[in-house]
Amino acid sequence: MSSSAAWKRASAVSLAVAASLWAWWVLRAPVDATQGLIQKVLYVHVPCVLGAYLGFAVTALGGLLYLVRHEERFDRLAAAAAEVGVLFCSLVLLTGPIWAKGTWGRWWSWDLRLTLTLLLYLIYVSYLLLRSFTEGSERAARFAAVYAIAGAPVMLLNYFAIDLAGGRTVHPENLGSGSLGAGMGMPFALGMLTALAAFAHLLVRRLEVGGLRAELDRLEAEAERA
Amino acid sequence: MSYLVAAYAIAIGGVVGYARWLARTRQRLARELADRSAANRG
Repeated sequence: MSSSAAWKRASAVSLAVAASLWAWWVLRAPVDATQGLIQKVLYVHVPCVLGAYLGFAVTALGGLLYLVRHEERFDRLAAAAAEVGVLFCSLVLLTGPIWAKGTWGRWWSWDLRLTLTLLLYLIYVSYLLLRSFTEGSERAARFAAVYAIAGAPVMLLNYFAIDLAGGRTVHPENLGSGSLGAGMGMPFALGMLTALAAFAHLLVRRLEVGGLRAELDRLEAEAERA
Repeated sequence: MSYLVAAYAIAIGGVVGYARWLARTRQRLARELADRSAANRG
């Protein structure tokens, strides 16, 4: 088995195992006394945030490595991670309002955390649009790399938004030790593990697609020159 | 309960849907690559 096939199989098996355990623990988790069943939305919403952060962090890292090493594979890594990150951020922006509607009675609030999440999403959607309009040139790849790195601090602002708002926020605080009720730690931990496995699986698949596209472009350019 | 089901359906459906789209795209590109390689050789 090639190393690529082994990676794909390992990522698929890890994802299946993690997702099964996560589903089991979410079903078993106690119903929150204050929020009721709707609290269980957080077992999927928070892990999606991890997927989004990972995606955007790898995008910035890929961009940085591209600027330093000038190797196309790092540019492809950045593009792949951005796409997976945007997927997870879309899920954050869809599952969050569902929880909010069930808890606050409204879908959205222009709270600092929510607004910064939307901004983060728009930054990396713009990154993907920018890439799709300017695909192929080295100059565009350099610009995309700088843009990806420049967008990364918004992720830090997003993470620390609750502290920055000095408590004047409707969004719950970041998860910390002792902030969860009895029996809620395990579904959160397994949700994070599942998001990590899903992220790795999708990134490996997306990188493969990126590699095939690059090879096809190379052969088409070769045919045009001939 | 319906909000809860909707949230999980969206999240799981989103990940599964994207994975399926990637698999289909990979197959299509592999076919195009094989065709292009054959055309370039021929």
